[in-house]
Amino acid sequence: MSDHGHLKLEYQPALPLSNGKLFMWLFLSTEIMFFAGLIGTYIVLRFGAPSWPTPHDVHLSEPIGAFNTFVLICSSVSVVLCFEAAKANKPRQAKQLLLVTFVLGSVFLGVKMYEYNSKFSHGIYPQSPHGLLYDQPSPYYPAAVRQTLLDSKIATPKSVEQETRNIVIDALIANLVTPAEIAAANAGNGSAARAEIHELAVHVQPVHGATPTSDWMAKAIADVKDKTTIAVTNQELLSSELIKLPADSEAHQDKQAEFAAVKQRVEALSQAAKVLQNVNPDKGINASINWLKLPMVIPGGHMWASTYFLLTGFHAIHVVVGLLVFALMIPMTLGPAKAGAVENIGLYWHFVDLVWIFLFPLLYLF
Amino acid sequence: MSEHAHESTPHGHDDHEHHAVPMKTYWTVFGVLCVLTMASFLTYTEIWRDQFSTHAGWSLMMAVSCSKALLVILFFMHLKYEANWKYVLTIPAAFMSVFLMLMLVPDVGRRMYRYSTERWEHTSDYTGAAFYISELLPLPEGIEGGDHAAAHDHNIEHRHADEHGEAEAPEHISLPPDAAAADQVAP
Repeated sequence: MSDHGHLKLEYQPALPLSNGKLFMWLFLSTEIMFFAGLIGTYIVLRFGAPSWPTPHDVHLSEPIGAFNTFVLICSSVSVVLCFEAAKANKPRQAKQLLLVTFVLGSVFLGVKMYEYNSKFSHGIYPQSPHGLLYDQPSPYYPAAVRQTLLDSKIATPKSVEQETRNIVIDALIANLVTPAEIAAANAGNGSAARAEIHELAVHVQPVHGATPTSDWMAKAIADVKDKTTIAVTNQELLSSELIKLPADSEAHQDKQAEFAAVKQRVEALSQAAKVLQNVNPDKGINASINWLKLPMVIPGGHMWASTYFLLTGFHAIHVVVGLLVFALMIPMTLGPAKAGAVENIGLYWHFVDLVWIFLFPLLYLF
Repeated sequence: MSEHAHESTPHGHDDHEHHAVPMKTYWTVFGVLCVLTMASFLTYTEIWRDQFSTHAGWSLMMAVSCSKALLVILFFMHLKYEANWKYVLTIPAAFMSVFLMLMLVPDVGRRMYRYSTERWEHTSDYTGAAFYISELLPLPEGIEGGDHAAAHDHNIEHRHADEHGEAEAPEHISLPPDAAAADQVAP
């Protein structure tokens, strides 16, 4: 030996396992604490909240959540079988199983994206700028509904459809928003005011299953029908005037244009009445009129959105990291030499599955 | 643990330790996991809700989740077959997690059963809690954090009473411009 006289030091691992596996387990033990903290926070916020949305309120679908659970369980099986195949020196089989795992992970992520999209399309965002969420029927709520309605109006309606929308919006402002604001202003105290605004909120979307008790929608329909009667009278008047005028005079052309406008308005009014009549009081305006997205009251909705997107978001990040590693490993020859690596990523993937096993009932079923 | 330390190199050790888990075990565990998922999912059905309390459902779901987690850890993560080092890595982490949860318990307790007036006012919905502040009523028996149904029924009565009792029209309030400008077509 060249280094004669030196002490020969022998390396002894503290734990009888490979560095990679030791690292993975240490990492997972920090991850356990990370998710324990997140889930614990969720439990405090969720069970400490005076009100919390039901899964139905926030468009959560339990079957979809259960399907995703199933997908992750399947991917856990395929990744553990992949490890066994690699250990048994069956690289082809191992590669196929890793591919299956990758596809299943992607399916999970795809379903998650679909679910996120259904939240976003209903105006439920983790942050306020795009969100249509209101935690309670506060005085800000009718103001927001009014503003959204005014913003949805078309300045110069060019078609019957556009005019129909304007008529519906005007009817809703005059017969729903304004009465709610007036009643709230006349209410004795804050709680009584919220009770009045609550009536507007349940017209837009049921709150905890509460549906409208007032006749505001009936009044809106009657309002539109009154306007239709006036417009029809006006139309008849114009047509009788039109006959009297000489056919090719300038006055005739002016009257003709006026008549066309009134005719369009009559049509729009009768369609607007139909739109309002089709509003299902058990589902609300938002669900019944598809071109209208009004701010909605979901008690505890903001806290729900924050915790839901935080928990599922962190879980989804873990899924993405797992998928990236799978993508890197698929081209490799997965023989016994790589069995350790497959085992480690498998451990990580099982942990991701584990977190979802707890998130699914907590988020979807509680 | 010391008897394992000098046993062999990590690789040789791994081969030695995992005396191959039979495929049948994995598929059995898979089947059980699927059945358990269905079990927790079924607590959401009407039949279950009619028969058992919400808390019973929650307990069952948590029990199911813990069993599933245990199955995954023991069989898929091979912890059942590992040497004693598994305790070194998992027990401290488990303790830390449990302590983390326990530290939150007072918060859960305090927030679930006692609400300050401000919290009732600002975080609650009309159907739930706000009414009880306005009327200065003690909370009824059935009403805790998230029990809306009872509160809601109570409030429907309250609303009806309001509608009948209230006769004065809100005339002294001036209409906002859009309401007043009801568009007319007639000349």
